[in-house]
Amino acid sequence: MYGGLIIAAAALATFARVLAMMGLSIVTGWLLGYASLRSRGFESAYIPAIAVLESVPVIGFFPLVLIIFVERIGGPLGVEMAADFLVFDAVVWNIWVGIYQAFKTVPRDLEEVADNYGLGFLGKMRKLYVPYSIPRIAANLFPSFADGLFYIMASEVISVGVHTYEVFGIGTLLTGYVAGGQMAGIYYSILAIGVGVVGFMTLFRYFARASVAKYGLDTAAQIRRRERPAPRLGSSAWVTLARPMRRLSRYAASAVLASVARPVRSVSGRAPRLARAAGYAIGIAILGYIVYSSYRLIAAVPAATWSELLSDTPAMLYALAVDYGRVAVITGASFAISVLAGYYLATHVRASAIVIPAVQTIAAFPPPAYFPLIYMATYTYMDALPGGIGAEVYVFILGFLSTFYYVFFSFWMGVQSIPVEFWELMDNYRLGFWERLRRVVLPATLPYRVSGISSTVNSAWGGLMVGEYWPGVVPGRNLEVNVGLMKLLDVYVSQGYLHRAAWASLLFGAVVAVYSLLFTERLMNLSRSRYVVEEGIFAA
Amino acid sequence: MGSSPPPVLQGQDLSFSVGQRVIFDGINIETYKNELVSIIGPSGVGKSTLLRVLGMFVRPTRGRVLLHGEEVTRPTPRIALVHQSIATFPWMTALDNVKLALQGRGLSKEEMEERARRALEVVGLSGFERFYPKEMSGGMRQRVAIARALAGDPYVLLMDEPFVHLDELTAERLRREIYDILFSEGSTLESVVLVSHNLNEVVELSDRVYAMRGSPARIVGELTIELERPRNQYNPIFSEYVSELYSMLSIGE
Ligand SMILES: Nc1ncnc2c1ncn2[C@@H]1O[C@H](COP(=O)(O)OP(=O)(O)O)[C@@H](O)[C@H]1O
Ligand SMILES: [Mg+2]
Repeated sequence: MYGGLIIAAAALATFARVLAMMGLSIVTGWLLGYASLRSRGFESAYIPAIAVLESVPVIGFFPLVLIIFVERIGGPLGVEMAADFLVFDAVVWNIWVGIYQAFKTVPRDLEEVADNYGLGFLGKMRKLYVPYSIPRIAANLFPSFADGLFYIMASEVISVGVHTYEVFGIGTLLTGYVAGGQMAGIYYSILAIGVGVVGFMTLFRYFARASVAKYGLDTAAQIRRRERPAPRLGSSAWVTLARPMRRLSRYAASAVLASVARPVRSVSGRAPRLARAAGYAIGIAILGYIVYSSYRLIAAVPAATWSELLSDTPAMLYALAVDYGRVAVITGASFAISVLAGYYLATHVRASAIVIPAVQTIAAFPPPAYFPLIYMATYTYMDALPGGIGAEVYVFILGFLSTFYYVFFSFWMGVQSIPVEFWELMDNYRLGFWERLRRVVLPATLPYRVSGISSTVNSAWGGLMVGEYWPGVVPGRNLEVNVGLMKLLDVYVSQGYLHRAAWASLLFGAVVAVYSLLFTERLMNLSRSRYVVEEGIFAA
Repeated sequence: MGSSPPPVLQGQDLSFSVGQRVIFDGINIETYKNELVSIIGPSGVGKSTLLRVLGMFVRPTRGRVLLHGEEVTRPTPRIALVHQSIATFPWMTALDNVKLALQGRGLSKEEMEERARRALEVVGLSGFERFYPKEMSGGMRQRVAIARALAGDPYVLLMDEPFVHLDELTAERLRREIYDILFSEGSTLESVVLVSHNLNEVVELSDRVYAMRGSPARIVGELTIELERPRNQYNPIFSEYVSELYSMLSIGE
């Protein structure tokens, strides 16, 4: 046994961190969700605040966040809190938005019944809102868990100048084994992660199924969109296996869309507009605090350094532009593959019953954990490629592995939402493959793809953060690209140039937040106005 | 009568099962030129499934479907389906929704536009070409769906309870117009199969009715309705037809 006990304990510690942060997100999500039902003012602030905070990939700020926590709180506790903060940031937005959307779609009738019997806050929560949000939460467990694991792997160990901060966990252990070239340790660690991932995903799947069976509303809308009859399939085991998952995604999907329409209605009028501004202000204030702390780092250096920072800026912006290019390529590739695979699976029920759970499980396995193995197996071939191409390929692989899941599942949920009537019409008029994509499948999935876009872009940045600069990815070898802002950040931090790292983070955060807010907001409005596929079916 | 005319659509010995459960079994159905044929039966008996089998949207476990004597193996624009849940694409205008039925035929842009406009005119939606479904009432949306089905020059139209999601006044109006819309001048349409559980509706619209009942479901009766159009439901003969259908569906219960 290779330190088996330590490995098991470390894996447990890591999983416990992720689960604890998910739990914290759920409980706070219930409270904040309830608050936004009670107060329109709060609601109009809550949602924009989430939008601002979600749009900033906090991984770009992580080194600074770590320093803030270590400086203010200090010692192991500070490091632990910094790691937890990152995981929390990774899991919380999906869960909060999911709960909020579930609360917003509680049927009026049920609310009236609750009012009728005079249920108070606790009564309403226990009897109505919490149960109603369970299927939505269950659906969010998968991506949240995957997201959290990804970031914990990246954040358990970090070197700042001569200091190395680490928390006890499988990520730390794995980093040590990789650095020491201890293959047995690497394999056992990956095995431990694998056991945990498969175990928890299986648990989540049972939970999801049970929660839909128990808490899912069997509305007319769901019956109407019944199972597309699979030709000559009968009631084979695969279909019965597939059904709960498909019902779940459909349930989650209709909740997404219902709420897409609703908040729009509630943010008209004067007071809510103020509150909305306040929400942006709160989001910006929280970011501002991080910014301020970064500023203090910058301000602490001599004035001469300012000119140095300013002269570095063009290079930083150029590196950011290169990174945007990488994000675009990664997202584009994920999208193209998602569309083809998703379309295939949507039309092949039997295959989807196997592939979807498999992809869900594999996706939860954090790529940074097994990436060194891929690297080990392939770097001799990559070395044959000219210049920095090998490194680019690796960064692409890492980014793709980190991103594909989000793109795929948001597309998949959208495909699932296409009513059976539309598939029949496409058959009836014998639309070809491209016609189907262009006229029906792509428009129908637009709102889903848009609502997943923040997670997608954030996870692409996460992949870059890990992949652009990875000293000792295998003993004696560094993975690094020629140009990239994520690399610059890593390099500045590990060399102790904190003021530079802070400056680069600020530029990064500002550009990314502004860009993604403008971009997603526009797409959201577009998809809301016309592309809600459920509205294609009329029932009086 | 001598030799009877050839049937337009034939379903021969159609059966459909889900796993071990037989939904319907040994069903034979025929339609002839200029005929509106209804299939009536209680909810859940398998009418929608049978209709989809007639268009080969769903494959039967046994039996086959012939159009003009040739076997149908997959969905075709020649047999167009109109849904119970009124299905229009929300990101397409009325005109674009109708044009969808004209894809892949090598028609020029102008010709497609012209045909789609004509189809909308037939259903009484001239002037609404640029409207999105969201901007239209349920009745208008169903008219768009019917226009779309007609634009593809079908021989057979399959209609699955097309009025059930409309309010009674709108449904009444569309019912009154539907026969003329379907068999309008210049239409290629030869027969219509209408599925319904509404006895009055069926007597008002049909030339012939099949009654479907049981588990597994079978055709338990057939009735030819010889009444002048437009039909008046307060006519005593109308009521007799309704009673006759009612007894077909409730015998042995
Ligand atoms: N692909 C399928 N899988 C499972 N059950 C089906 C399938 N297709 C039809 N059924 C069942 O067949 C029965 C008849 O359904 P349907 O044709 O919709 O009835 P109707 O239109 O007469 O109300 C229903 O009980 C339905 O559940
Ligand atoms: Mg039906």
